[in-house]
Amino acid sequence: MTCRDMDGIMSSHSGNSLLPPEAAEHIVGCERCRSLVRLLHETSEIPAPSESHLKRIQKGILENLRPVRPLPPSRIFLFSFALIFLSVVAVGAMRLGMNGWSVLSMEQKIAVFATLAASAVLLALSMVRQMVPGSKHGVSPTTLPIAILLVLILVIAAVFRSEEESAFVTNGLMCIRNGLEYSIPTALLFWMLLRRGAMLFPKLIGAAAGGFSGLIGLSVLEINCSNLNVYHILVWHWGVILITSLAGVVLGAVVEYVDRYRDQKNSF
Amino acid sequence: MQPDPGGFAYASPDIEHLMARYQQADPVASAALIKLLSPQLYRFFAGPMGSKTDAEDMLQDAWLRIHRVRHTYRQGEPVLPWVYAIARCVRVDDYRKRHRIASRETCVDVLPEPSVSKDERACLPRFEELVAALPESQREVVTMLKVDGLSIEEVARAMSSTVGAVKQKAHRAYERLRKLLDQIAQPARKGAAQ
Repeated sequence: MTCRDMDGIMSSHSGNSLLPPEAAEHIVGCERCRSLVRLLHETSEIPAPSESHLKRIQKGILENLRPVRPLPPSRIFLFSFALIFLSVVAVGAMRLGMNGWSVLSMEQKIAVFATLAASAVLLALSMVRQMVPGSKHGVSPTTLPIAILLVLILVIAAVFRSEEESAFVTNGLMCIRNGLEYSIPTALLFWMLLRRGAMLFPKLIGAAAGGFSGLIGLSVLEINCSNLNVYHILVWHWGVILITSLAGVVLGAVVEYVDRYRDQKNSF
Repeated sequence: MQPDPGGFAYASPDIEHLMARYQQADPVASAALIKLLSPQLYRFFAGPMGSKTDAEDMLQDAWLRIHRVRHTYRQGEPVLPWVYAIARCVRVDDYRKRHRIASRETCVDVLPEPSVSKDERACLPRFEELVAALPESQREVVTMLKVDGLSIEEVARAMSSTVGAVKQKAHRAYERLRKLLDQIAQPARKGAAQ
């Protein structure tokens, strides 16, 4: 047994049970682990809150006690997110046209839309889990939006090639406007759904919601825009997700500030 | 450092039941829940090296938030990660607030170091003192695991993280603690040899 194996045992081991025989054998021979185990099991004076303080908290809560309806199951929120995503993309495709879809090769369609779908599923799951404190996360909510942004860059760079383009900025501005036109209203819709949850870290939820609505804008653009220049897609299409994600973080920061102010006023 | 055997870590099913009744506005269950959870939460806020007043403020803030988002608890799910996720958020906010205030404060003079007696110097450091030397995220993991008695899975849920990431943080924390203990033990060993 190594010191690293001991770490695993110490993490999963509750203080009042005996160590497994091999761990006990290890600490006999290893002074470093022995002193660490002694330190972690050291009993110290356990502080406790004062009775008067607890009574004040109890009084504050009992005064505002009303029955609440528990949050609906996660699948209902997931279904709502999926419905909004697909409806907005469908409306965008109908209104703006499907020129992009017709010029994409089969490989490009599979690579781009499979990545978009997978990213949307992951972000939707992350948002639903962030609504309920203490949920199980497959990927950390901090890492996920950044990872999705990076994966999208890689996929776009791998699938598309550089092409001649005469009006890079003019075309690009039109695309980014079209993308944001669909992303911003849906971001507000998502925000209204998310507000029903706990919102412990509004900036993280904001980044996920912004990223998710940005994916809608990107999907609309990939279906509509026939420009296959890799730089156009990287700057103006991918830029929609970047803008909406950052806007989500900023909105989250505002919500955090407002919540903090409200907490100061509402303390028991 | 052991979880309190009379604490809620050993009475999860009851807590889940109390939580469900708290959502239905049962005053007896609400009062019982506060009584049951508060000592553990207080310990989470107070240690390591935290002040009593700060811990009481954070405890109050935590209950305010628990009360506000009590509808997000789903029956059948474990209560501890739900409560600790909220408590952690309170602690992070408090840390940021403290940091903001500290950055605005100007030190007018250098304070004299408190005198330490020879006996105190000879003593080995307490758990709280060593853990206070760890980075915030590692300290949080060690406190939840060893002071509050949560399992790795519960800590991962409370921190919105993965089990692998929590194990990694715990491993780094233990390594750092070993090094700190080594540094403390070396002069003592030299002294004994002389």
